[in-house]
Amino acid sequence: MTEGDRALRAVIADARAVIERVAADLALAEEPWGHLATLEAEPERE
Amino acid sequence: MSDWTIATLAAALAARQLSPVELVRDLLARIDRLDPTLRAFITVDSDGALTMASALERELGAGRPRGPLHGVPMAWKDLCHVPGLPTSCGTKTREYFIDERECEAVRRLRRAGAVGLGKLNMTELALGPFGDNPHHGDAQNPWRAGHAAGGSSSGAGVAVAAGLVLGAVGSDTGGSIRLPAASCGVAGLKPTYGRVSRAGAMPLSWSLDHLGPMTRTVADAALMLGAMAGHDPADATSSRRAVPDYGAALARGVAGLRVGLPENYYFDGVSPEVAAAVREAARAIAGLGAVVTELRLPDPQPVTETASIITWCESSAVHARIVRERPHELGPVARARLEFGFHVSALDYLQAARIRARLTREFVREVFAEVDVLLAPVIPEPAPPLDRVKAGAIDDVVARMARFARLTRPLNGLGLPALSIPCGFAASGLPLGLQIIGRPFDESTVLRVGHAYEQAAGWWTRRPPPARG
Repeated sequence: MTEGDRALRAVIADARAVIERVAADLALAEEPWGHLATLEAEPERE
Repeated sequence: MSDWTIATLAAALAARQLSPVELVRDLLARIDRLDPTLRAFITVDSDGALTMASALERELGAGRPRGPLHGVPMAWKDLCHVPGLPTSCGTKTREYFIDERECEAVRRLRRAGAVGLGKLNMTELALGPFGDNPHHGDAQNPWRAGHAAGGSSSGAGVAVAAGLVLGAVGSDTGGSIRLPAASCGVAGLKPTYGRVSRAGAMPLSWSLDHLGPMTRTVADAALMLGAMAGHDPADATSSRRAVPDYGAALARGVAGLRVGLPENYYFDGVSPEVAAAVREAARAIAGLGAVVTELRLPDPQPVTETASIITWCESSAVHARIVRERPHELGPVARARLEFGFHVSALDYLQAARIRARLTREFVREVFAEVDVLLAPVIPEPAPPLDRVKAGAIDDVVARMARFARLTRPLNGLGLPALSIPCGFAASGLPLGLQIIGRPFDESTVLRVGHAYEQAAGWWTRRPPPARG
């Protein structure tokens, strides 16, 4: 494995660690789709 | 040219004080004179621009103006597909991106009367915040030669700042409208995710890409956004939310609006000049009647990491073919950045997408219960020298990129509207940028705050040396 590969895998591992920490208590109903729906769920401003 | 805005120019054209054809000829001559140094353009479409300008002039003569953009010269980041012109996406492949559809955002602007002068320089495949490009030349910051213009919509920032066009369409996946806007001293708006159709533009990351306007003033950005925004059946991720009259809200001022200044994250590692300019802008906005308070934000790190995971995977998927078959055609940085997605699992991607929804809901409900908009810096330091940003090993370059885009990337993860406008100048003469962040689909309030501050502070009236000639 090259130095570059090691660095790349380290960056990915760091990101994965953060994701796994927050994802630890995801509910079954929380789906990966529809970021637009999340934004549109906020009420319109008058 | 130096004093025009879209609003004032369109009025002069409509009143027949200026000819659209003569205006385009003047700008093409200006591009011919300045662009060999500035490197804002990849393709200049002289014939197309003059043909369009002639048609628009005839329409004016027949009493048929199309609206507030009639005859206004603009240009498009070279990932927007326009029939008859190549779309290189900043690569060495002349026609890297081909689509049967015209870029919808551009099509709407041209339908409203905008004249396209050509396609603008950009970081290769939109993969970088400095605007350097190994194939088409580095876009030069018009305030200080040899300095980064910001990226990846580098040519758009330069062209607007230097008075080569009155407006430009850029794209923003991690900061690529706001970073060149701040670096070049112009206005740049990343709208809410889904506010503007992405159809007909090269995707970098389907879930985080945003197209938006880059202009001299906030009022001009409001005009462009009004034409660009709205549902597009060709883009399943475009919102059906009604498009308000963005211009109508501008004059309401900021009295009584609640404005937040982050206590955490956004001033970490920022140069003293940048921090001072942003805090002074906050004081000015308070002086206009807004209520400015400091508040602690939910930690942006998790949403930034979700944005990273999603972008890595999606950009690798988009560009898998060139990475696998013709990697030698890519610059080393683009090649390195596209490697990431091949090493991220589907599980990582799906978990990132799931938590993104939760993090967005939490951020919006916590923060916008307290304030109407947030203020923050855009760039952590004035635009650095190009030879410094390109120096060193690839890992160093990529790490440097992450630091420069640190203050913009969380807003791509969240998908919130974010405007960059000038808030002063460094001792070096390089511009500094203020970021104004709002609720989902509340571009009206974001633009309103930006307009009030911009008109009071007056930074937008300063022009870089190439724009003064």
